[in-house]
Amino acid sequence: MPEQLACRLGAKVRRAFAQLGSISWLLGKCVRGLFRLRREPFRVVLEVTRTQIRFTALDALPICCLTALLLGGITLLQVFGQLSGYGVESYLSQVLAQLVIRELGPLMVGMLVISRSGTAMATEMASRKLSGELDALSANGVDLVQYLLLPRILGGIVSVFSLVIVFDAVALLGGFVVAWLRLPLSLAFFLDALGQAIGHRELTATFTKCLAFGTAIPLLCTAYGLRVKRSATELPQAVTKACVISLLVLLLAGALLSVLIYA
Amino acid sequence: MPEPLLALEAVTLVSPEGRPVFRALDWRLGRGARFHAHGGAGGGGTALLRLCAGIAEPDSGRIVLDGTPLEAGTLHPFLARGALGWVPSDGGLAVNLSLLDNVTLPLRFALGLGRRDAERTALAWLEKAGLGQQLHERPAPGHRECWMASLARAAAKGSRLWLVDRPLGGLDAASIQAAEELLSEVARDPGVTMLLVGGAWMSSLGQDLKIGNGRVFSGGEP
Repeated sequence: MPEQLACRLGAKVRRAFAQLGSISWLLGKCVRGLFRLRREPFRVVLEVTRTQIRFTALDALPICCLTALLLGGITLLQVFGQLSGYGVESYLSQVLAQLVIRELGPLMVGMLVISRSGTAMATEMASRKLSGELDALSANGVDLVQYLLLPRILGGIVSVFSLVIVFDAVALLGGFVVAWLRLPLSLAFFLDALGQAIGHRELTATFTKCLAFGTAIPLLCTAYGLRVKRSATELPQAVTKACVISLLVLLLAGALLSVLIYA
Repeated sequence: MPEPLLALEAVTLVSPEGRPVFRALDWRLGRGARFHAHGGAGGGGTALLRLCAGIAEPDSGRIVLDGTPLEAGTLHPFLARGALGWVPSDGGLAVNLSLLDNVTLPLRFALGLGRRDAERTALAWLEKAGLGQQLHERPAPGHRECWMASLARAAAKGSRLWLVDRPLGGLDAASIQAAEELLSEVARDPGVTMLLVGGAWMSSLGQDLKIGNGRVFSGGEP
């Protein structure tokens, strides 16, 4: 019995490492593909990247702003409730800024991108593979890593970064509006406190997390979408797996980067 | 003996249902050779084309294209330079691109042509394929336009090896005539190698090839 349990655990660990290996291999191919791009394929990649940014960032702006506004307001209400008991409301904007910029902004945007674009990427890749479209592209000399994966990763990085900036700004604005309703707070004081709260570590964290999430989400979702083999029934399984794994990686990477940068 | 363009060495292929399609198959396709295989669906013609294009992976044995073995997960240099004209039954076009963009894409990606040059070349071949009025339409999978545009794509790239499968759902008389003329024009180049499957109207373009019992017989041998 203990041997069987050990065997099962061992198989799962082996599978996890195999998946990690195959994702790393794909990322390596992507980096190589980027440096091997010739002039005209580079233009094609830029065109596809632009489309990706439109779908991932521009089309997500309304939902991103709404989420940020509500989250900023709710977070401030909670923080205000805690701080007012100690009479330190003047730290309100600093706490809000650090909470939103360091953690909530990248995390919420990551979740938004997984739920909107990650699922779309996994579904698109799976259905294009099942229809034989990808085989035909490859047979006709189109490098699938360069044409499909690279623009999605480049678009993912740009989109996550842009959305995080918008998210942070709107969340802080939402927080200010809530604070202004309850406290005699001026915008100048709020902005001044914000300026003091945002240092090089916050900027480093934002840049690093955007780069990590923007790379990981398209890479994982595309890779899991491409794993389907024959049947359309594999499609929902592939999409679910892509979302769950992306979410798990998002949380793990977010926590790890926060520990590395702020510990 | 000159090196063949394509060589299947002891290739065994088993269908996903577990039925053997080819057993230890040795077959060579010389440069400039043209073959046409008859037979309906399930006869092994499509499987042979998919093997030759590197789309189906053999269960054992290897396939050597232009002196280099085909390997899963890597883009073969012959394919990377756009020398393979792959025309599957359903056309294999990207449904999110127009017919013109579908033909233009490999010209820009594999041949490195600029957008304008690629569009000019694509336009000329799409017109020959009878699709001059539908350039900006998106393909509907399975329709004759897909297959005809796929033919135009292979021609526009200046493919050296043509692997052409029967069109899904057949073609009308006008399309057959356009396809015949297009293939005949391409076949005027003696360096072009062709393997065509299905469609009696294609039989004049190549020697008879028989596929059966897991074997491939060239030149009408049993």
